[in-house]
Amino acid sequence: MEEVKNGEKLTLVTRKPCFGLPTACPTCLPVYIYLRFAQLPFDVEYNLIYPDSDQIPYVEFGSHVVYNNEKGGVIQSLKDEQTVDLDSDVSGIPEWVSTKAMVESWLAEAVMYELWVGSDGSSAQKIYYSDLPWPIGKCLYFKQIHMVKQLLGITKGNAERREEEIYRRAATAYNALSTRLGEQSFFFENRPTSLDAIFLGHALFTLHALPETSVLRSKLLDHANLVRYAENLKAEFVDADSSSSSVSPSRSDPSSSMPKRGPSNWKSNPKSKPKREKTEEEKKFKRRAKYFLVTQLVAVLVFISLLGGSNDAEVEFEDGDDGLDYE
Amino acid sequence: MAASFEDNSTGQPKDDALKSTAPARTEPEEDNDNDDDDSQEEDDDDEEEEEDDDEDEQPPLTRQARMQSDRAKMEALFRRLSTERVPVRVHDVLIKGNAKTKDSLIEAEVEALKTATTVQELLQAAGIANARLQRLEIFDSVNITLDSGPPELPGTANVVVEVVEAKNPLSGDFGIFSKPEARSWSLEGSVKLKNLFGYGDLWDGSLAYGWDQTSEISAGLSLPRFKGLMTPLMARISLLSQDWSKFSSYKERALGFSLGLLSSRNHDLSYNLSWRTLSDPSQISSRTVRRQLGHGLLSTLKYTFKVDRRNSPLRPTQGYAFVSTSQLGGLVPDYRSLRFLRQEFDLRYAFPLGLLNAALNFGISSGVVFPWGNGFLNRPSYLPERFFLGGNSSPVCTLGGPTSILGFKSRGLGPAEPRRQVGENSTTESADASSEMDFLGGDFAVTGFADLSFDIPLKVFRDAGIHGHAFACTGSLTSLTENSYREFSLTKFKESFRHSAGFGIIVPTKLFRMEVNYCYILKKHEHDRGKTGVQFSFSSPL
Repeated sequence: MEEVKNGEKLTLVTRKPCFGLPTACPTCLPVYIYLRFAQLPFDVEYNLIYPDSDQIPYVEFGSHVVYNNEKGGVIQSLKDEQTVDLDSDVSGIPEWVSTKAMVESWLAEAVMYELWVGSDGSSAQKIYYSDLPWPIGKCLYFKQIHMVKQLLGITKGNAERREEEIYRRAATAYNALSTRLGEQSFFFENRPTSLDAIFLGHALFTLHALPETSVLRSKLLDHANLVRYAENLKAEFVDADSSSSSVSPSRSDPSSSMPKRGPSNWKSNPKSKPKREKTEEEKKFKRRAKYFLVTQLVAVLVFISLLGGSNDAEVEFEDGDDGLDYE
Repeated sequence: MAASFEDNSTGQPKDDALKSTAPARTEPEEDNDNDDDDSQEEDDDDEEEEEDDDEDEQPPLTRQARMQSDRAKMEALFRRLSTERVPVRVHDVLIKGNAKTKDSLIEAEVEALKTATTVQELLQAAGIANARLQRLEIFDSVNITLDSGPPELPGTANVVVEVVEAKNPLSGDFGIFSKPEARSWSLEGSVKLKNLFGYGDLWDGSLAYGWDQTSEISAGLSLPRFKGLMTPLMARISLLSQDWSKFSSYKERALGFSLGLLSSRNHDLSYNLSWRTLSDPSQISSRTVRRQLGHGLLSTLKYTFKVDRRNSPLRPTQGYAFVSTSQLGGLVPDYRSLRFLRQEFDLRYAFPLGLLNAALNFGISSGVVFPWGNGFLNRPSYLPERFFLGGNSSPVCTLGGPTSILGFKSRGLGPAEPRRQVGENSTTESADASSEMDFLGGDFAVTGFADLSFDIPLKVFRDAGIHGHAFACTGSLTSLTENSYREFSLTKFKESFRHSAGFGIIVPTKLFRMEVNYCYILKKHEHDRGKTGVQFSFSSPL
């Protein structure tokens, strides 16, 4: 576009950076990485007050804006307008298309589930609501959880089944990607494409932003080559040039990010799902408690009836005595 | 048994002074009095009791003689009341007729009666108490009767307050109102529930639709007296939605709670807590508006000081008015809520010219808004809290800060920014260039006007209240935040003023007040939306 050629800088507006990532929102990170891959100079600004907007991330150049909820997303719009198209060679390869579709559907769902429903919500709170006043943050958080559950089709009845399904699909996707990647640096044709941007964004988010108890994270850690891929590309594209792009916050300064976790000390202790065992134990406990209470009740009744009988006898006897006394 | 006053001046027996014409005391009198003139009642009541005794003690007089003596006594009493202070002490206040309303509420309103020391003071206090009780809006009728006190205590009086509570606690309303917070008039329908718990509480729910695409649904409670507080307490919860898409490309939604803490003639203090969301569904906003889209929590304290000595709020011909409004936002300790300071001043002056009921009105209004807190010099001010000039509201009648310059459209002047460019029309030349600009408002606003109003010399118009006026307006809007204050200079400020002048006719009707003006724009800036021509404007009739 003429504006870009004239040297006007792009500005990318995303959500806040934390967990050692340039932006911690899973929808914004792929766009950031894509622009990095394309080696376009751009500024980053943050929007800290609109967590429920589907317009973010957006890219501005001059008086033109490319929103994420138009024309298939920011990356697609940038490709369509020929600003930067990394996929010109690979977009015809069916395997590339299907791999990308798998990443964009199964893995995106898995991240959405893990972020809002599967984990305790601390990551989501930090990324989206830490700069909003507390009452607003809380309301929007619950609203978002409800929306995600509706989107993923999760109800009280099928919650466990859906969770299994989501994790199973994620594991399948990781397997396929790991096999596809092998020992290469990129997935296709040894150069970065939008598929790499999307998966790299997903992987970095899962590794850094999700808590250590996350099941999804542990599944990803099972594939060493994927983890290596993520860390290498992060070091090359994301961390190295972070000094060249200027960042400016919108509305308030983002809080300082957590210290980075290196790849050598990945820890993972996923919360094993003890729910089923718990329910077994609970049932046993309840049964035993019931038996206990019933026996106690029977014992008390027996005691009362026996004691009551003897008491009556004594009372009558005493009455008789009294009567005699009175007389 | 006579409830006699302590009186040593006259030789007459005190009983005689209080007796008045017996037939004068009839049922209609007591009902019609409206408590402006209680003396008759007082005499009548005293006289009624005395009458019985008198009839026992004295031989029956002829009817004619009785009437004459009563009239003489009445005249003597009036003479006494008008010439000297007649001391009296209030012994007891009896309240009757309140099944639901709490005694404490009524007693609080008639408090002043207990401290009256003379009959004249008592009558005056009774009148005031009656008006206050009626103003509570929960009674159908109020009657205050002054009676003689117990016979063993001379010089005392009893006050009997009889109220008739409103039979139907529910009432509905529909009309055109103008609210001080909203800058224009609105069509409003409301439902009121009176006195649900007996504390004089007024519950109301209302639905309003305003001229500037505002819609609001709200519910409120008003308590005249809450546990000994002197001023009425008002609480209101509302959901407000405003559509500024045409002017500034955003929509505003606010869920708010406001508490009126202090409300007297000159002072008003209120607290407001609201959750505001700015959104842009059309996705064509300019850069500055884009940066402000999102959620915000406003916790503000607003204080208004008002002195209005003009003889009429709609067509002032004499007097002055001064209003100062201060707003402090960001009172919760949470640093993430919106922090700003807003100050407005209004000054109005009117003086009559004598001929044709003409009057010259001058006015100047100014306002400034600025954020505070960390990094406040670089932060922009909150968009909905900025000042926007433009619109058709008459500057003579509105006292709500700098808002209008006749001739310019709503939000039609001031700092503006181009909207998002859509598609390939990258050329800036288009037929309606100004419609592609977002008006962002300013942090510092000043408006001034001079208005000459006069009666049209035709009896028909004069009787209907239709009058004409000629006016000249000026105003300026500049931004100071985000380091723009460094570029502020007097020459630039002088150049930023826009001017307009014109004349018109004002037609006040029962439903609304209509103005038809011809405005001529004398000076405007490139992107301002102002047009020379005829304009209509409607405002509330009150």
